[in-house]
Amino acid sequence: MKYQSFIGLEVHIHLLTRTKAFCSCKAAFGDEPNSNVCPVCMGYPGVLPALNGEAMRMAATVALALDCTLSPSTWFERKQYFYPDMPKNYQISQFASPVGVGGHVDIPTRDGASKRIRIKECHLEEDAGKMIHAGNVSLIDYNRAGTSLLEIVTEPDFETGTEAETYIQHLRRMVRYLGVCDGNMEEGSLRCDANVSVNLSGAGLGRKVEIKNLNSSRFVRLGLDYEIERQMQLLEKGGTVRQETRLWNENRDQTEPMRSKESANDYRFFPEPDLPVFVVDGAFVESARAGLVELPFARERRLISEYGLSGEQASIICEERAGADWFEAAVAESIRLGVDVTLAAERVAVWMSTDVRRVLNRDGLDASSLGSFRVTSARMAAMVALVASGRVSGKIARQVFDAVLAEDAEPADVVSARGWELVVDPERIVRAVDAAFAAEASAVTDAVAAMMRGDQGRARSLGSFLVGKAIAASGGKAEPGMIKVVVDRRLAQRQMAGASSQAELGARA
Amino acid sequence: MMQSVYPDGFRAYFDAWEARIGAFLDYDAQVLETAAGRAAILESSNGKASVASLPFGVKDNIAVAGMRLSCGSRLLDGFISPYSATSVTRLVDAGAVPVGKMNLDEFGMGSSTDGSAFKRTNNPWDTERVAGGSSGGPAAAVAAGLVPFALGSDTGGSVRQPANFCGVVGLKPTYGAVSRYGLVAYASSLETVGVLADTAWRARAAFMVMRGRDDLDQTSADSPAGALAVERHDHRTVEPRTIGVLSPDAVALSLLSTLSSGPDADEALARAASGATVLEPEVADGFEAARAALQAQGHRVIDIELPSLKYAVPAYYTIATAEASANLARFDGIRYGNRPAYSENPEELLDKTRGHGFGNEVKLRILLGTFVLRSGFQDRYYLRAQRIRAGIRRDFERVLDGCDAILMPVFPTRAFGRGEQGLSPFAQKAADVFTCCANLAGLPALAFPTGVVDGLPVGVQLVGPAFGEGVLLDIAEGYEAKHSIARPAGYQAWWGGA
Repeated sequence: MKYQSFIGLEVHIHLLTRTKAFCSCKAAFGDEPNSNVCPVCMGYPGVLPALNGEAMRMAATVALALDCTLSPSTWFERKQYFYPDMPKNYQISQFASPVGVGGHVDIPTRDGASKRIRIKECHLEEDAGKMIHAGNVSLIDYNRAGTSLLEIVTEPDFETGTEAETYIQHLRRMVRYLGVCDGNMEEGSLRCDANVSVNLSGAGLGRKVEIKNLNSSRFVRLGLDYEIERQMQLLEKGGTVRQETRLWNENRDQTEPMRSKESANDYRFFPEPDLPVFVVDGAFVESARAGLVELPFARERRLISEYGLSGEQASIICEERAGADWFEAAVAESIRLGVDVTLAAERVAVWMSTDVRRVLNRDGLDASSLGSFRVTSARMAAMVALVASGRVSGKIARQVFDAVLAEDAEPADVVSARGWELVVDPERIVRAVDAAFAAEASAVTDAVAAMMRGDQGRARSLGSFLVGKAIAASGGKAEPGMIKVVVDRRLAQRQMAGASSQAELGARA
Repeated sequence: MMQSVYPDGFRAYFDAWEARIGAFLDYDAQVLETAAGRAAILESSNGKASVASLPFGVKDNIAVAGMRLSCGSRLLDGFISPYSATSVTRLVDAGAVPVGKMNLDEFGMGSSTDGSAFKRTNNPWDTERVAGGSSGGPAAAVAAGLVPFALGSDTGGSVRQPANFCGVVGLKPTYGAVSRYGLVAYASSLETVGVLADTAWRARAAFMVMRGRDDLDQTSADSPAGALAVERHDHRTVEPRTIGVLSPDAVALSLLSTLSSGPDADEALARAASGATVLEPEVADGFEAARAALQAQGHRVIDIELPSLKYAVPAYYTIATAEASANLARFDGIRYGNRPAYSENPEELLDKTRGHGFGNEVKLRILLGTFVLRSGFQDRYYLRAQRIRAGIRRDFERVLDGCDAILMPVFPTRAFGRGEQGLSPFAQKAADVFTCCANLAGLPALAFPTGVVDGLPVGVQLVGPAFGEGVLLDIAEGYEAKHSIARPAGYQAWWGGA
């Protein structure tokens, strides 16, 4: 490769704190404009910020999840610039002492390996409001002003748009697992800015271009690939890249320069005098650690080795933490009910990719809502055990699933109320087969004839037909395996009888 | 039978004084009169320091719900605060009654109160002279007996200097001892809400109610265990203390020698800065007399030095203006405040709002602050000022290891006049040297009147260790017990309990 590309990402995530970062206003979206505001987040004269401990803890939890080192003491700076949606005309942010520094995250690559991305820092800051231009007036909604944002900054370790997209998806899944962000890019809960530079291979970083407005993981990929191509072509023609900020235009699929006025800022950072230095003590680290959970990538790998799942199955199960939790709880309960671990995992995985997914899709939900799904993990396990013990058939089990879902009932109750338990009583099995043989005498005769002339295919299909009829004769409840054994035995007896009577006839002749 | 709860003549007294001094920007005459009546009834209630039922005034950069909060600025003329400062709330909870908002230099930036966009406030001792600033309104009103105490703010001396000019007591508490929530920020790391009062005993009563940790101000704190108690029931006896006395001349001299040496030395500037810190003879005499009087009361008096003081003013103005440039950025006319009827775009809205709304001194300080925080220049200005600040703090700590309090002048002059009799803006800033150092060090400081020279009050200040307000108040009360505070001609005592 003649050229080398370097991409660094700055991802902002909205922390799911109950209240805003520096006041007690509700941090919520979609409410009536300017309904979640107070003198503090409106920047009224004389008010002071008061740091929300929950925001600090969530920030530290994310930093730990990214293997960052927590700064022993951390403080805030004022980042100064004038913008109408920013009430104080400075943003309380962190500059010299981010919550966490020097972490890394491994992202999967296409060849099944993984690539290590270095995390430069994570820092906490407040968000601004939203300005809307309507005709000849500008309206501002300050509901979002002062809500907690965590900015996660990587080193320039990505080379392609695809890698960046994978990282975004990975990070999104991670913060959702940690329960600190809903990861919704469309609503702006997770936002991404990128720095891209291209240079001759081996010549180090090129001149940096910042790209904004990448508000989906797809746009991250498209925008970066476009920008890398643009810069390469520019260099190829002997030009130089201008250090600037560009915006991704999703309608034209291209990046466009932002007005230079908007990007030329001296932020005049200085320590926020209204907030004391936050000392990261043992108790705080403990509370941040308490928020850690097994992260999706690690969990996938564990599920593969522990339950013998395929990579694809593991990845589907681990897409949402609630899904993986539901899966593992169902498997554990199945094991407790006497089902073999591999079978239990296989059965639950199949349920998840078939009926469970069908119902969630139908209701416009995803696996994140499995925590409140009517078919709880315990009910799932009960169904797996019912099938494994031969008490209901796989086909009946799907009806049980629908009934449990519709009636919010226990599987065992559904089965017994409807009499769906399989018939395994030998006498009733024999009676059902006898009834079928009596009703389908010609099929029996044909089957025996086929067997006698060695037509295995015909014999098998007539045998299956008779099994089906026998099951039907039992009202669909007879255990198919036992029916088949009896049908096969009966046909064999008829064949034997037929053979001996033929021999008899032959002797007479 | 009770004739009337209103003290006879208070209303007339108030109106006559207010017409002469112009201390208030707004007040509720009815509330004031009622409160005055109650205070008169309560006069000889008990010996405990209390603010119950007392009316008090509030500098117009401190929020009182439902009252104006103009900060002496055109930009906020007409703005009504939707909330109250914690200091105000605590006083109200203790039974005190806020009766009005008082004049100040715009956003607390000034030493005369002539920087108010609305009116002049005159000194009750001589209405041709200023009341000092920036808490000139509170100082003048207390000096004239219109209220027993008032809230001010002290960023670099704004409580103590006007108190000194008007002959009342001015307490700047330890940084963080009183919540700043509701004080419109000028320089957040330096300023505190302070009290101007007719006596030290009254200042103590108000301070005791206001102080303590507030969740709305995370830089606030309770006084640590082991700190000297502020509560006191007997304010007539004197407990001997060790008082370190700073030589005012030494400060002026070291200033001159420092400024006139080195590569950037400017002889004329050095002389001007040094000259502005030299005490006028009346103040110097008053200072010496106070020193002698304190010694006569049994205090041990020792000489001390604060070598870093010569750097205090430039460090103070660097930090104060830097913080001001950010603190005043919020005044953009969008959510509140006065703005032009029409603007083409946000930039124009901002330019017009601030261009018309702010006065020159405010604009100057915002520009200075913006200048010192520029990227690439922070090390030369802002960070250097912070290092000086740390040095000043260490200097004070060292000295206060060897004494209970430091005796210092408040301001080099008595209340100055206007125009040619005035003090140049440069001299006014240079003269902040004795007050701004306590703000840089975050230490408590108490200015109290010690006498009257040629018809104008003189006084001193005491600087103490962090959360050492009690010691400063004890010494001042002891002094008052022997030398009662002089009041301007026409003063009438309406407020009991002190």
